[in-house]
Amino acid sequence: MSNNVRVYSNFENVDFWCNPSSLDAVEDFTFIFIQTEGKCTANINVNPNANSKSKVHVYIYAEGSAEVDCVCTLNVDKQNSGVNTDIQFRSWPFDRSKIKARPEMFISNSDIIATHGNALGGLRPEEEYYLSSRGIDNFKEAIKQSLLSYA
Amino acid sequence: MLKIKKLSAKIGDKQILKNVNIELPAGKCLLVTGQNGAGKSTLLHAIMGRSDIKTTGTISLEKTALHKLECHERAQAGVFLAHQAPPTIDGVNTMTLFKEVQKAQSLDITTGDLIKKVKALTEDFALPTDWSKRSFNSGASGGERKKGELMQAKVLLDKTKLLLLDEPDSGLEQSSRKKIVKLINDTCNAGGSVMLVTHDKELQKLYQDNKLDLSNVE
Repeated sequence: MSNNVRVYSNFENVDFWCNPSSLDAVEDFTFIFIQTEGKCTANINVNPNANSKSKVHVYIYAEGSAEVDCVCTLNVDKQNSGVNTDIQFRSWPFDRSKIKARPEMFISNSDIIATHGNALGGLRPEEEYYLSSRGIDNFKEAIKQSLLSYA
Repeated sequence: MLKIKKLSAKIGDKQILKNVNIELPAGKCLLVTGQNGAGKSTLLHAIMGRSDIKTTGTISLEKTALHKLECHERAQAGVFLAHQAPPTIDGVNTMTLFKEVQKAQSLDITTGDLIKKVKALTEDFALPTDWSKRSFNSGASGGERKKGELMQAKVLLDKTKLLLLDEPDSGLEQSSRKKIVKLINDTCNAGGSVMLVTHDKELQKLYQDNKLDLSNVE
């Protein structure tokens, strides 16, 4: 499994195009946005080749009064049969921050698999309890440090 | 020494535990048994301080009144719970979790040594080589999650005064049972106490001399 990780910390505009082409292993693309101030607008365009397998993970962390508006668009043309792509968003808006996270799909071929998920919000109660049981009470910092560690 | 006096526990309106009394000296392991629903796991979570479990009574570990502390403070006071079903925490990678634990619990180990220790334990437990780089428990099987819990218990061994093991054997291959026994012995030898919940007959045999059967507690 290959993994392409990109970390954007306090960027204003991000435009990224990726072309998954792996036919055997799943190709991973990970995008991490850490916004502590200002506004970030991000467009991720996924244009997979025929028969490619890929996963796109988008993690967004925002704090203070920061704002992130992120769209991840999957485009599959008529000629690109056999595409298998999954897009997953996980976003944590802390404090007064705002996050818009949108997976979009433009599909012109019925012989493909395209899935997506979008989770936005704080930690689940069982996640908070788990971290607490390890002595951690600053969940915000734990997530931020974890995302920064990808850099 | 762990002292629990008249501990009762409710989840919502449901009474799970009533008047549980325990005295567990340092260096000893207490086997906790009982039918399904008897409250074995609830007892461990009540000691750990899970917020949805409402308790009355007292829980003291050495001179610390655990029942007055928040969950994270109990962990910092030396309570370690190996969870029965540890969750996946998407976005929080395993190595960062260890580093945050190191900070939160002021572990007497450098970050470099911590990384080496985690790497060595990953090999010892035959976990995937990229284990520490993944989101916590992402894509992990039930057995791998259990190994992850035992790994953390090993890292925190010097700090642990009370080790709570909630069915540590379930989902693990037979050979890993030895690791559980070693962890219990190491904790006891270092002056900690252990509470063990297990359905494994072999493990029960080893620790049946000191047993609490919750089916018999009113």
